[in-house]
Amino acid sequence: MLTYKLQNNLNGQPCAVIRSDGWTIPFATGNTDYQKYLEWLAEGNIPEPADQGE
Amino acid sequence: MSVSYGGDSIVFADGSVQSGGWTGMRNRIINGAMVIDQRNVGASVTPASGQYTIDRFVAQLSQSSKYTVQQNAGSVTPPTGFSNYLGVTSSSAYSVTSSDFFFIAQNIEGFNTADLAFGTASASTVTLSFWVRSSLTGTFGGALRNSANSRSYPFSYTISSANTWEQKSVTVAGDTSGTWIGATNGIGINVAFSLGMGSTYSTTAGAWAAGNYASVTGATSVVGTNGATFYITGVQLERGSTASSFEYRSYGAELALCQRYYEVLYNSADNAGIWGPYTTSYGYRGTWYFKVQKRIAASVSLAGSSAWTGATPSIFNGISSAAFFSSGTPFYSAGTADTLAVQASSEL
Repeated sequence: MLTYKLQNNLNGQPCAVIRSDGWTIPFATGNTDYQKYLEWLAEGNIPEPADQGE
Repeated sequence: MSVSYGGDSIVFADGSVQSGGWTGMRNRIINGAMVIDQRNVGASVTPASGQYTIDRFVAQLSQSSKYTVQQNAGSVTPPTGFSNYLGVTSSSAYSVTSSDFFFIAQNIEGFNTADLAFGTASASTVTLSFWVRSSLTGTFGGALRNSANSRSYPFSYTISSANTWEQKSVTVAGDTSGTWIGATNGIGINVAFSLGMGSTYSTTAGAWAAGNYASVTGATSVVGTNGATFYITGVQLERGSTASSFEYRSYGAELALCQRYYEVLYNSADNAGIWGPYTTSYGYRGTWYFKVQKRIAASVSLAGSSAWTGATPSIFNGISSAAFFSSGTPFYSAGTADTLAVQASSEL
């Protein structure tokens, strides 16, 4: 099962997720990978926090 | 030389047909001749559901590992005028249950279908044509659907001779009901070719239906026969009631059309695709400027057997570029020259 990890922008705000298969997925409504992430969230899953210092 | 006028088309003496609306992008299908295969470069894949295979064609499946997809699978001679085809091979003899679905599809962007005015009283008639070859014979199915899968036009066609290319065409009166997106970057029309469909997603051919139907009741199941093949090329969806000659586009033009949805960067001769050199005050940064602006901010990852050397950079995605950043360590994507380095996807 694919999992997700948050990625922050340079201001420390979440701007994307890194999927466990290596794809970085932006928070863009029309991105189908992002839509699948939202479905994953809706199932009650929680992403890993972003690395500190990014 | 003689020509005849057929209402919305001209028929030339050699039998070729030129339909109305013949300038610009007559064929709404991208890569209908199956020429572009950026992801797999001719290799066979066992796709997951939702995985793109040959450019712009997505595999959908409810059970894993029931079929493979490969450009020019089986190395048969394509129809005259074509060099490539999308080849499906069944991996087992699977009995489809009511809720199963197996199909190949293309999602056409709304910007490229809005003029057809589906969902209005002015909806245009369209014609879908394609060349198909299968080891099986009988009735096969497919469908046109809207973005919400709430409007469907299941169609059927007959393959009469096994292992023989046959050209098929289906004319569909445009849907005057339902919700179809207009000129946006979402899904305008989904065109599906069934490889095996459960009863939940099958119904009568030849009429618009409310609901999600991707095939017709009783259609042949390709995944039901181990080793069965289903090859397709020359896919064209056009305005009008006649299937005109296939609209050939240059390789470069077709590649650029595909790159709106998926693009790869190759490693260079010094074994690197993306470099992250030091920039004063801003750490190590590299930027990949896409050749073609994407449909939406793209997902990005390494591709093929490439790997990051040094740091694994953070990736910041956009519609025209992707930025790679590491605060304290340089990086580059390493891989053999002329192999895939990184990839960007904004598929529908």
